[in-house]
Amino acid sequence: MSTTDGHLEALTKVVLNNLENQHDWTRLQTHAQPNLPRQLIYGLPPKRLYVHPDEQIEMIKAEKDRKEPIPQAPELEWVLPLHLAEKWSLSQFAAVFDAMDAAPPGSSAPEILGPDDPDAQWKLWRGAKRGKRLLLATVQDDSTVTYYWMFDGLVKPRQN
Amino acid sequence: MASSVTDRQVRISRIAGRYLVFDIDDVVHIRRHHSICAVFTGTMPQNPTQNVFLGLPIELYAQEAKILVDKKAGYIVDDAADHLTQLKTMDESSRKEYIQSLKVQRKNAQLVFEEAKALSQARHQDKRKATSGSKKARETNNPAPPATVEQEDTLFDTQPVKPAPAAAAVAAVKDTMPALTPTTSSTLIVPQTSSTPVEVPSSFPLQAYLNSRGYFITPGLRFGGDFSVYPGDPLRYHAHYLATSYEWEKKIPLLDLLTSGRLGTAVKKSFLLGGQQPQDQVAESEKVAAGGDDVRVFCIEWAGM
Repeated sequence: MSTTDGHLEALTKVVLNNLENQHDWTRLQTHAQPNLPRQLIYGLPPKRLYVHPDEQIEMIKAEKDRKEPIPQAPELEWVLPLHLAEKWSLSQFAAVFDAMDAAPPGSSAPEILGPDDPDAQWKLWRGAKRGKRLLLATVQDDSTVTYYWMFDGLVKPRQN
Repeated sequence: MASSVTDRQVRISRIAGRYLVFDIDDVVHIRRHHSICAVFTGTMPQNPTQNVFLGLPIELYAQEAKILVDKKAGYIVDDAADHLTQLKTMDESSRKEYIQSLKVQRKNAQLVFEEAKALSQARHQDKRKATSGSKKARETNNPAPPATVEQEDTLFDTQPVKPAPAAAAVAAVKDTMPALTPTTSSTLIVPQTSSTPVEVPSSFPLQAYLNSRGYFITPGLRFGGDFSVYPGDPLRYHAHYLATSYEWEKKIPLLDLLTSGRLGTAVKKSFLLGGQQPQDQVAESEKVAAGGDDVRVFCIEWAGM
């Protein structure tokens, strides 16, 4: 094993450890693919991490006719382990996004019940309409890990 | 009518390496139809150090000038040289036409002034009338002042028309015509179709990509990026993105991305980074390179964990 591989292995371990023990993620897996520049991590956060602003609008519309709020089940998310000292180019990020699927393996989209399901619109955002996104997990030398979303393409900001 | 709107050719003056638009109709046109609002840079002549409430002309980015030229919606002229050649090559008839157009402008200005004067006079008269009317009412206890008011009105209306000879009146008008400095030399210039080439910085592909999707772009310093990107007219929308353009293979320190992402989230925006993919690589991955599709963009937001 070369030293760069060793470095990446250690980096992945730090991030896995942080996700599991600081952020209570479950079902954590590493994912390697020949066309990926480095292995990715995926796992299940304890609560839902990202809601697209357009899905939010669809949910508000659907919630008008419902008695209870729409459940926010967490989704499996991709994580890219990085070290703060690294430098990445657009081409490298593009390579990662081109190689990965929108949803990690084992993801389950909510089922749409027929063509007149009133919840079809927001359900699409958790299935077919889900865009490619990954968490940049950046490790600093003091083992601080910060998490930033990176989206492929123009994705408007959340209404936070 | 619709075709004349879309066919409009915007005249972009290049002066000292800057791209300026002087015609207010052009400014409205590119804002409405080409999603370009640019930056107002004009000060009042009396106050050249003015730095707020600036007016015409607007200054375009070189990239925006190129976008307009590429869309065949505008043309660029080297203004100093163009004006001189225009003035030198004028023949008798176009010279007369130009002088006539200046006269028309002055006459129009005269009319506006007179109208304003008449209005203010009328207001003045009304005030005096009101006070004198109430005085009379008190003196005579007469509850019928409308008659006198009417009389005065007709008197005032006929007052400006003097029974003077027509020629004398014309002479008087000529003497009092206001001096006028036209804001544009639109009557002097001849529309052109050819255009001088524009040199643009490397951020051009990203800007063209965003513009082709209807986004408005303004300088981004106030939010900490190269550009602020608005989903519509900045007067109506908040910016969605703060954008920075990078070369395709340029190595970007992660700290730059994270700090920008953090800053963007703090101002409720997303940090957008993007750049143009080299043509050979686009072909490799079999992507359609049409309408700026060879530009790749990514957005970064704080994940909140």
